[in-house]
Amino acid sequence: MDKGLIRRGIRRCSTGQFLAWLTPWVAMLGFGVLAIGLCLVKGLNQTNMDNRFAFGLWIFLDLTIIALGAGAFFTGFLLYILRREELRAVINSAVVIGFICYSGAILVLMVDVGQPLRAWFTFWHPNVHSMLTEVTFCITCYLTVLAIEYAPIMLKNRQLRKVPSFLVFEFELHKVMPVFAAVGTFLSFFHQGSLGGLYGVLHGRPFAYREGFAIWPSTFFLFILSAIATGPAFVLLTTWMVSKVARKELVRKNVYSLLAKISGWLLIVYVGFKSIDTLVWLNRTAPLSGVSPIRFYAWAPFDIWLLFVEIAGFGLLPALIFLSPARRRSVPWMIAGSLLACAGVATNRFVMTIQTLAVPTLKFEPFMLYYPSWQEVATFLFVVAYGVILYSLSFRYLTLFPQERDLQH
Amino acid sequence: MFPGIYGFAWDAGHIIFLGIFYVVLMVVFATIAVAMRRAIRDSRTSRAEALRWHADFEDLPERWRRCRHELAGEIENRTCPNAFDCRHCVEHPLFVSARNGRPLPEGEPRVAGFEVPGDRLYHRGHTWVRPDPEGLLTVGLDDLGAHLLGSPDMIELPKVGSRVVANGTGWLAEKSGSTVRVLSPVDGEVVAVGAGDEGWYLKIRPDPAGSDMRHLLSPAEARPWMLREIERLQMAIATDAVGAALADGGVPVEDLSEAIPPERRDDVYGAVFLNV
Repeated sequence: MDKGLIRRGIRRCSTGQFLAWLTPWVAMLGFGVLAIGLCLVKGLNQTNMDNRFAFGLWIFLDLTIIALGAGAFFTGFLLYILRREELRAVINSAVVIGFICYSGAILVLMVDVGQPLRAWFTFWHPNVHSMLTEVTFCITCYLTVLAIEYAPIMLKNRQLRKVPSFLVFEFELHKVMPVFAAVGTFLSFFHQGSLGGLYGVLHGRPFAYREGFAIWPSTFFLFILSAIATGPAFVLLTTWMVSKVARKELVRKNVYSLLAKISGWLLIVYVGFKSIDTLVWLNRTAPLSGVSPIRFYAWAPFDIWLLFVEIAGFGLLPALIFLSPARRRSVPWMIAGSLLACAGVATNRFVMTIQTLAVPTLKFEPFMLYYPSWQEVATFLFVVAYGVILYSLSFRYLTLFPQERDLQH
Repeated sequence: MFPGIYGFAWDAGHIIFLGIFYVVLMVVFATIAVAMRRAIRDSRTSRAEALRWHADFEDLPERWRRCRHELAGEIENRTCPNAFDCRHCVEHPLFVSARNGRPLPEGEPRVAGFEVPGDRLYHRGHTWVRPDPEGLLTVGLDDLGAHLLGSPDMIELPKVGSRVVANGTGWLAEKSGSTVRVLSPVDGEVVAVGAGDEGWYLKIRPDPAGSDMRHLLSPAEARPWMLREIERLQMAIATDAVGAALADGGVPVEDLSEAIPPERRDDVYGAVFLNV
């Protein structure tokens, strides 16, 4: 039925099978719409957040998907600026994933602000001294850049490319893509950093507070590093997952290997800096605040194991897997490494968001745990469903993996 | 956001932060504007067809973008970097001069049952060009292309007086629900249109400067190419269960499209006529 929209020579499942695949995701989307509607109509009392836990599941997951979405800008940077041509095989998919991650994050933020109709205030009356203002401006601009990068991918759809003006616009857009790659890199650099800086400047919360360089706390740089280290791993992981779902090869193995290698080197640098930062924080920054750092890890379930798992299990281990040429010849090892790396960035964002707020700051404060309400979970599931649906449509009707046709026979 | 808006102050924080923000916005929108301006210029100068071919060519699988000199056995492995337009290739003259005036082996005029006459030049999109004594160029479908389209359900030929460009749309054919864009092998003005049963489709007056036809295959080059094309066709037709299989005798049927499974027909046309 929709064969005319699918690129020639590319095999896709039947329309019926495709609709059957989409059905549960559409149901999940509907469930999310209900939850979002409740939050928008009845207010943030639908969530389990309060004045103490003002950042919850949404911010934790927003930060995680924004970090994983860094694969888009970093792949673009490597391809268009550093000319790593092998990455042309995954750039379209990386852009679509980046677009989904950022648009999903902004959507959740619109619900999270509680008063979405006043969201424009942050642009019209910006507090230029706030890291959050920088994040708001940067992610909005970057979503615009991602939409522009998405446009040529869409314009090359089999039917759209028949319109001559679309095709010439796509061609000309493609020529200026390095400019967008550079702008995207600049914007991503700052908003990834500012998301980290947001926590590092919290003087009142010694668990998060860090010293740094000039106006930027060390978390500013660590967030950038961790995002660009896991971005390629996430691109690798998603490519493999799509390949498994579609039951076909989408890229050559050397592309997986290159992504793993890039991720490995960046991860080892990240683990090095993260370890130094942790030691400085434990031995100098936290004691200067008048807090014994051991107190931070005195409450289950967030004991000291979480710190070791984050740095060694989800940082050093995937880095070693990726840096071993023998492991890079094995797709299962690379997938294992990618899963660990992605879990690492999620753990880091969890620690910075949830653990920071859970750990008491004052002696009379209790340790506090937070469980999200079903509305919070459903809102996030909305983003997951939205992402799967948009990616599925893009995969079916657009060229996300240019090597797919070459590898088909 | 702007001077005069509540919260704005002429201090370093506002000037640096908002200054950078406005520069980023200007770069983004100026770049879009440049791309749009160029796109409008391209559309006005009829570059759309050339750009379309370049876009299509980039999207072809690498194994279909083999250099003519690889097909002729002059180099082991070479992907064409010039969208099959040897007129702009710096290496094509080097390959030709390396022959030291020795012609390529002519080969048989019949390749696996398909005619490859020696009186014309061939385009990779399965058209041929034959110069006429009166200076016009006659364009037709080669034997494989003609067998594949059989009797098309519909043909849309360009208007007499219109201009065609090499690798742009020559004419459109519809067969069993698939639209095939047959690529023009040369640049020039259409002076007459025929139909498949007359053996030709277009008569073209080349540009006054003369038509440069270096990008077209000579019969000696076309014969090994045709063999490769038949292999490519077999690959495109092959079902997953059987894999590629070559016929071991006989002659091609008149309407090859009937031999292609309906669900594969569109893909096969795309593969043979270089349509994406």
